Amino acid sequence: MSKLTAPKAAPAGSTTARSGKKVFRKIEPYIWIAPSVILMAIFIVVPICKVFQMSMNQVTKTNQLKGFNNFENFIKVVKAPAFTLVLKNTLVWTIAVVVLSTVLGFMLALVLNNKFRGRKIARAIVVFPWATTLVIQASAWGFIINKDYGTLNTLLMKIGLISQPVNWTPTPEAYFAWEIACGIFVTIPFVTFCVLSGLQSIDTSYYEAATVDGANYWQKLFKITLPLVKSSLTVSTVLNIIYVFNSFPIIWTMTKGDPANRTDTLVTYLYKLAFYNGRSGEAAAVSVIGFLILLVCASVYMIYTLRKGDGDL
Amino acid sequence: MKKILALLLAAVMVLSLAACSNNAGTPASNPPAEDSTPAENPPDKPDDNQPSGDKIDINVIAAEYGQNTKQWWADFQKEFNAAYDNINLTVEVVSWNDIYTVVNTRLGGNNAPDILNIDVFADYQSDGLLLPAQDYVSEETYAKFYEAFLDQSVVDGTVWAIPDLASARAMYYNVDILEAAGVDVPTTWDELKAACEAIKAYDSSIYPWGIDMTTDEGQAAFAYYIWNNGSDFTDADGNWTLNDPKNVEAIEYAIGLYNDGLTNTDPANETRYNLQDLFGAGKLAMVIGPNSIPTYIADNYAKANTPESEQINYAFAAIPTNGGNASVSAGVMDRFMCFDNGHSAEKIEAIKTFFDFFYEDSRYSDWVLMEGFLPATSAGGEIVASSDPNMAPWVDIVGSCKFYPTAKAEWADVKQGVINVEQQALLGGNVQELLDNLQAEIAG
Repeated sequence: MSKLTAPKAAPAGSTTARSGKKVFRKIEPYIWIAPSVILMAIFIVVPICKVFQMSMNQVTKTNQLKGFNNFENFIKVVKAPAFTLVLKNTLVWTIAVVVLSTVLGFMLALVLNNKFRGRKIARAIVVFPWATTLVIQASAWGFIINKDYGTLNTLLMKIGLISQPVNWTPTPEAYFAWEIACGIFVTIPFVTFCVLSGLQSIDTSYYEAATVDGANYWQKLFKITLPLVKSSLTVSTVLNIIYVFNSFPIIWTMTKGDPANRTDTLVTYLYKLAFYNGRSGEAAAVSVIGFLILLVCASVYMIYTLRKGDGDL
Repeated sequence: MKKILALLLAAVMVLSLAACSNNAGTPASNPPAEDSTPAENPPDKPDDNQPSGDKIDINVIAAEYGQNTKQWWADFQKEFNAAYDNINLTVEVVSWNDIYTVVNTRLGGNNAPDILNIDVFADYQSDGLLLPAQDYVSEETYAKFYEAFLDQSVVDGTVWAIPDLASARAMYYNVDILEAAGVDVPTTWDELKAACEAIKAYDSSIYPWGIDMTTDEGQAAFAYYIWNNGSDFTDADGNWTLNDPKNVEAIEYAIGLYNDGLTNTDPANETRYNLQDLFGAGKLAMVIGPNSIPTYIADNYAKANTPESEQINYAFAAIPTNGGNASVSAGVMDRFMCFDNGHSAEKIEAIKTFFDFFYEDSRYSDWVLMEGFLPATSAGGEIVASSDPNMAPWVDIVGSCKFYPTAKAEWADVKQGVINVEQQALLGGNVQELLDNLQAEIAG
């Protein structure tokens, strides 16, 4: 009997253990990701909700919320004469920096993908602008183009190209162009390394086959290279749109958005609203508008590229 | 094994979160003041409005004026706590970059400091967060302040804050450049323009006149010109008069100097510090600046090991004026204010003791001299003037200078507004139209 009962008892115990294991296996992944989800909730979701809440409330200069105010913050922001200008600047800034840095970064990646002497050193040098703080970069650019003690004027005067200092920033537009140039300079390394990683994963046999078929350089570039690095380019472009749109240090360090909002983007504008004018509610409204614009742009771009058949992001 | 590990991880996470929440729930009275010692400020005090044991807690947030401020307050705290057994003073020194955020965050969390040392007060007052100054300052101490200083903190007939120190502005000029160009120190706008033209004719690589119309401090330029044209931001009743014809004339004069090529290249982007650097390097002949310029220039020379032959020979004079008006210096003043945290009578007495101790004449003049500022009390002024002959003319200037109308709640908008007007005017905008628009926006 005992011989019969003993084997029966064993499966009962093992079933409980097995079902326990099953349950545990089901919840195990959630336990592992819980810390990051909680951290994200605390440090990302809560502040975002807070910004939405502030944007719809009347906020005093000492940051006290005084209740829902019928979207008055949004109405005030949109009605402000500077807002259209700032929005236009933001679009010009984002498009110019993202497009030009993507084109230049792609070209640089093609160069760095070739085998040549000192390639490793060249790749390391490309990382430098990326590895330096943006504030330092922007200060250095400001120092280079300064009329009175800038290194660009000193250099050009020493080699005899100019006889007296040139004002490189005679108009707000010129200043903005320098800021865009600085933005491109610091963004290129990111694009280069994204594309380079894509290029290195392309099998050389494709190119060999194309060469045998008589394809020229451009055909290989457009028919093999571009389609195969497209996923890397998509990632870098989407991330760049977000980073550049929200970039604060370059413009703040070089011009603070002056003169008269001519070089302001949404981020520098909202910073001034919040910390110089003490209008936190309106600043939060600008922030929400920027968030929605980014959400739409990034989603449209991602959906468009994914629909084209590149589902491997 | 995996299960144990997962459970362990979950337990650690829960514990750490619990620890966080416990921290957040610690009574508001215990800010992480760097200068407080644990023994003086135990972490489990129930409420700072109630005496903890036999001691009354006072917590202060103070602005960091320079490299010496932290140490000065640390010594002060030690001395004060040693002198008064029944009071436990904690001073948190915060940099100017962070102080507004720190204070607003504390206010948002219903955790206001007892005493705050900062520049502005009107926003806190309009939210009903402050106590009237005479409630928490003893009569003897209150009588020490310059009347003109107290007037700057009046709203609805009540003084809400007391001055802790000030700085004033004057015109600095490069003696050698003016001599070489053959011009006297200008005292009127006409003389100033003539002097600028003479300097330009003498050496076109030197900027005759410095103007700062940046987001940093463009409102100061606005004040220099309108005040010295016999006008103001407001009329005698305190109504905004931004588009007053004299204000338009003043700003048109300043913009005219820029348009005639008599100023630095980019007044919308060159801050006061850029101008001070140009002045120290002998590239700028005249500039309006604060009493701290000599210290600033000397520090720069010391850092760069500038040989004496390359150092400039400079002096200061009254800011040039127009229409026979007396020269007006622009003053900048910071304040102490006390938050209405429902203090007990004992606590109010303790706060009065704090201010009596702070404004004790020799200690107060030591505070003012510590970072090279100017005093806000007449007794302090006398001590400072007698201890440092270079400061004596400044003590006279500060007693008679004008201040920004910071007591008015619209000041932040006016400040940004006039900077915007100046920058638009630099780009060719019509000053009259711009000031009309600003006046309409501010005064409604």
